[in-house]
Amino acid sequence: MTSLIGQPRTRIDGRAKVTGHAAYPSDEPVRNPAWAFLLTSAIAKGRIRAFDLDEARSLPGVLDILTHQNVGDQTKPPKQQAGGDTTTTMESDRVWHDGQIIGVVLADTYETARDAAFRVKVHYDRQAPAATFDQPGVEAHYREPGEHEDYEVGDVDAALAATEVKVDQWYETPTQHHNPIELFTTTAEWNEGELTIWEPSQFVYGLRNNVAGQIGIDPAKVHVISKFVGGAFGSKGGATARTAWIAIAARRLGRAVKLVATRDQGFTIATYRAETRHHLQLGATPDGKLTALRHEGWEVTSRPSNYNVSGTETTARMYACPNILTKVNVVHADRNTPGFMRAPPDTPYMFALESAMDELAVAMRIDPVELRRINDTASDPTDGVPYSSRHLMECFDQAAERFGWASRSPEPRQMREGDWLIGWGCASAAYPSNIASTAARVTLRSDGHAMVEIAGHDIGTGAYTVAAITAADRLGVDIDKSAVKMGDTDLPPASLAAGSSHTATITHAIAKACNGILAKVAQAAVVSSEGPFAGKEAASLRLSEGKLIAPDGTAEPLEQAVNRVSKGALEVYAEHIPQGLSPESMEKLYQGQPPMLRGQSREGVRAYAFGAQFVEVRIHRLTCEIRVPRMVGAFASGTIVNPLTAHSQYMGGMIWGLGAALEEKTEIDLAHARYVNDNIAEYHVPVNADVSRVDVIMVPETDQQVNPLGIKGIGEIGIVGMNAAIANAVWHATGRRIRKLPIRIEDLL
Amino acid sequence: MREFVLERAGDTVEALRRAAARTPEDGNMQYLAGGTNLLDLMKLDVMRPNRLVDIAPLAVEHGRVRKLEDGLWLGAAVKMSQAADDPDVQSDYPVIAQSLTQAASAQLRNMATLGGNVLQRTRCNYFRDTSWGACNKREPGTGCAAMDGCNRRLAVLGVSDQCIANYPGDFAQALIALGAEVNVFGTDGRDRTFAFETLHRLPGDTPHIETTLEPGDLITGFKIPAGPWTRRSRYVKVRDRTSYDFALASAAVALALDGDRVVSARIALGGLASVPWRAHAAEDALEGRVLSEANAQGAAAAALEGAVAHGDNAFKVELGGRTLVRALVETRDMEIMP
Amino acid sequence: MDISLNVNGHRHALSLDPRVVLLDALRENLGLTGTKKGCDQGQCGACTVLIDGQRVLSCFVLAALATGEITTIEGLAGEGEPLHPMQQAFIEHDAFQCGYCTPGQILSAIACVHEGHATDEDEVREYMSGNLCRCAAYPNIVKAVLAAKSDMAANA
Repeated sequence: MTSLIGQPRTRIDGRAKVTGHAAYPSDEPVRNPAWAFLLTSAIAKGRIRAFDLDEARSLPGVLDILTHQNVGDQTKPPKQQAGGDTTTTMESDRVWHDGQIIGVVLADTYETARDAAFRVKVHYDRQAPAATFDQPGVEAHYREPGEHEDYEVGDVDAALAATEVKVDQWYETPTQHHNPIELFTTTAEWNEGELTIWEPSQFVYGLRNNVAGQIGIDPAKVHVISKFVGGAFGSKGGATARTAWIAIAARRLGRAVKLVATRDQGFTIATYRAETRHHLQLGATPDGKLTALRHEGWEVTSRPSNYNVSGTETTARMYACPNILTKVNVVHADRNTPGFMRAPPDTPYMFALESAMDELAVAMRIDPVELRRINDTASDPTDGVPYSSRHLMECFDQAAERFGWASRSPEPRQMREGDWLIGWGCASAAYPSNIASTAARVTLRSDGHAMVEIAGHDIGTGAYTVAAITAADRLGVDIDKSAVKMGDTDLPPASLAAGSSHTATITHAIAKACNGILAKVAQAAVVSSEGPFAGKEAASLRLSEGKLIAPDGTAEPLEQAVNRVSKGALEVYAEHIPQGLSPESMEKLYQGQPPMLRGQSREGVRAYAFGAQFVEVRIHRLTCEIRVPRMVGAFASGTIVNPLTAHSQYMGGMIWGLGAALEEKTEIDLAHARYVNDNIAEYHVPVNADVSRVDVIMVPETDQQVNPLGIKGIGEIGIVGMNAAIANAVWHATGRRIRKLPIRIEDLL
Repeated sequence: MREFVLERAGDTVEALRRAAARTPEDGNMQYLAGGTNLLDLMKLDVMRPNRLVDIAPLAVEHGRVRKLEDGLWLGAAVKMSQAADDPDVQSDYPVIAQSLTQAASAQLRNMATLGGNVLQRTRCNYFRDTSWGACNKREPGTGCAAMDGCNRRLAVLGVSDQCIANYPGDFAQALIALGAEVNVFGTDGRDRTFAFETLHRLPGDTPHIETTLEPGDLITGFKIPAGPWTRRSRYVKVRDRTSYDFALASAAVALALDGDRVVSARIALGGLASVPWRAHAAEDALEGRVLSEANAQGAAAAALEGAVAHGDNAFKVELGGRTLVRALVETRDMEIMP
Repeated sequence: MDISLNVNGHRHALSLDPRVVLLDALRENLGLTGTKKGCDQGQCGACTVLIDGQRVLSCFVLAALATGEITTIEGLAGEGEPLHPMQQAFIEHDAFQCGYCTPGQILSAIACVHEGHATDEDEVREYMSGNLCRCAAYPNIVKAVLAAKSDMAANA
């Protein structure tokens, strides 16, 4: 029988999602909840002098109003995704940023809570805030290596001085917010000292341990449920302040409390992609070989946090180059702390590198694809460590073929249809292949049903289906008979669904548990005097098509094979610790700390997925609207478990890239350091009419080194090259090089 | 959203009677039609009516599109989608159909009425978010935070030193270009008809007063006069997204041509101004002249003369002109079926 | 105030604050949580329901004034029943990822077909643009709508 791995398969949770029965956390029924409405700061810096709560309290149905004055000592801020300090909320009177949680109004109904919240008056002692780059009062400093590395190879300055062909430019990317369509919600309920939290999460064990630590209770007494997540993209990966406050509210009231934060509050109570600035210098020989790459980045963060994404970790190792220097700086402003957002480091940093590569190709009159070929490398140029596999140029060749790149004129402004100028551009994409330690429990029933239990997370990626495919494949049962439970801290822990790591992470743990089942069944079969397998080698037996099968064709029905070991059903718990992570990583996972093995920092091998992205843009000659009629992406990401859902992941990433390049920007009022377009009518994410043809090519790739199942991540790489591919296409259409995103009408008038 | 008393009016007479019944104590009555703007602003605590009079049942009286001998009647209770999909509107008044189909979304167009649509309020975020202290439109006398703030989408025409909020709608530009009249019933039971162009007020020193309507006035419909220009008419809307987006700039154009010479040009601009904006100067610049792209540019320059930018929105002066040029050329080149 | 809602063929009597919008009444009072809140401001389409067959945003309808026949996602196919062709097409074309916008997409798509606004890809794209999908399944949504249109015609 052919493997189920690699066969397209519709989602096992599809029916639940199209019938409205998939229970997202705010859909879960709780008895008689009180409603919470957040109060958020209207200033970005200062202190709260006083609250005037009388009018709000006077409304019938208002139960309580939490502020720092009555509950400030009951918790502390959650740990940040990347560690270190962060802003506080209601722990004190201090205001660190606009939209900071400063109170929680509780009422019998949502309508009353909202009404009351608008009647609260807050008196502030204001200080002048600093909003972003170039504003008085921001503090910039070099980010010391530690969590992220800097690279210095050869002598960049000397190489740049010696070369005639150079690119020396500055690039910028804007503030962006994830804006999943599901709002940030939390429901909390206490029952005899035990707390249940329903909240959409990319890491339920992380949330559980964070909240327990914040409010000082045993993590075993906290139960987090997040069966379905309505989009996350990084925004639901780390614990945020609201959760503990809602738990505290529920404890004070002795009643379940439900919070559905508003869309605008979502811009400031969770994280975001901070604006970045880049200085990029490239030098090359006359035949196009890079001689120097210098990339320095600046990233905005909050006052107390050193959060940064340091995408130089990818740009430094993209191409063969003998002289490399990278450096990253953080710029502290009066803002909320940023966090992961789809391909956090690579999306902004690769915009700079891949734009610069295009500029270099133009300057040297080399085809942009050929420039990448000239500088392709099989090993990491920063230290010579080989890539586990790298099919970048296969991606370029297949995508170029599909796109029709060969007919492109190198000069700009050569193509036009009616009033529309046409441009073609391309860029490389890359994303590290990450994997984490994770546990899983699998049950095989003698009637041919399997059950996978793992506290993983299907944030839309198709994880439920991937888990079912993995178990069905290993256990020889129908996918339809493979049930999967996820998103619940009562299940064995899985690492966070982020960093394109989740498929690799959960499949290895599930496969290991399935292997454990097979081993038990096989061992019992070969030692049993009853049945056909006596004396055969246990390791040679397989479970397939509802049978236990030996290589010589000897077979027996699953029912007998399972019942021989355990009447009716057999359950195995397994922990998978990737080679390169310590056994303690599993303990850490149980404590809510994700043990991630990062593709760029492994011993002896560099693990990355690669891709090539091609875009056509059309720009109206008068009004300069930019439309994208087609995009082609080719990606080599190792084993693809489910091509149907993988296609959706790549495609979604590419459309995210379209949004990032042309539409998405959180506007900041500079004088007040406040987000202004904090809604999804004006924070533009792509609509259906923005998207036409999207071609995804999955370049076959077998990689024995990245991990045993050969799985690289796919969730993020689709966005990585898009910013530059679109900017490069805009140049080709118009002759104008736009180095600051998003590219909008006003940039081209 | 503050508490309110919800009343339902069975017909126009009852609606007006209920509106007239207001006392100084509950002076803040609002008619509720499609609800797409009013309920939005009530949730944001920007609008705080204490009495809502539901006028949905008035669709029986004012919910029809009617072809008249001398023009077109659009009842105020007609839904945007209903007018947009009407075959007579599409063939004889394409600028109206286009202004409607390019606005909002299919769902919103199924809900919003034409009467409510023309009264929709600005999308200026400093107005829509009550945590901003300075907004002369929301709280007269408090100032205007938008002047030095994020004003990329805000107005460059018809602004004052008190307010640069833009009028966000599309349909009103079509009405104004075609010289529509609006029919309004007052609480005294009398109706009056006047030029739609005079419905909206420039912000001046009173940006919180947006129209010439009296409290309790009820719009019942719009009369669009026939003319040789209505079939050669077009709405061009320029926006960041391809759909479901407000205009950065838009132009409603209707032309009567004699060969390539302009007999009559009717032009309105959207996305650029504090009110639906009739570009009389541009019309005058074109009449009697050949509609070349160069002449269109001259008209565009006339249309944008006097524009005032405030930083982020400076590009709209240039974009507005280009949008008008494009609309004029595309309208000139329309194939008109006999 | 006392109100009556006719949802998926069942009449419900409720006593509600007049401020409650249909979206919240469905979710919090009737337990019909398939209708989703994505913005509560008419900007995302996740709360789309059909009233008398017309697609509308339930966040902008006062429950007290929702007098028509309301169809939510739960009304398209009961447990164990065959799915509506649009639901089936969404599964087969993988026209969603996280699934949060999906109930609104499906109801909007059914109305889009009935309105006659699904003649080709471009028209579907335009007339489905009122339903944001942040996972960006748009090309698959377009395929699903056009595929389901044929099945709906065949079943009619």
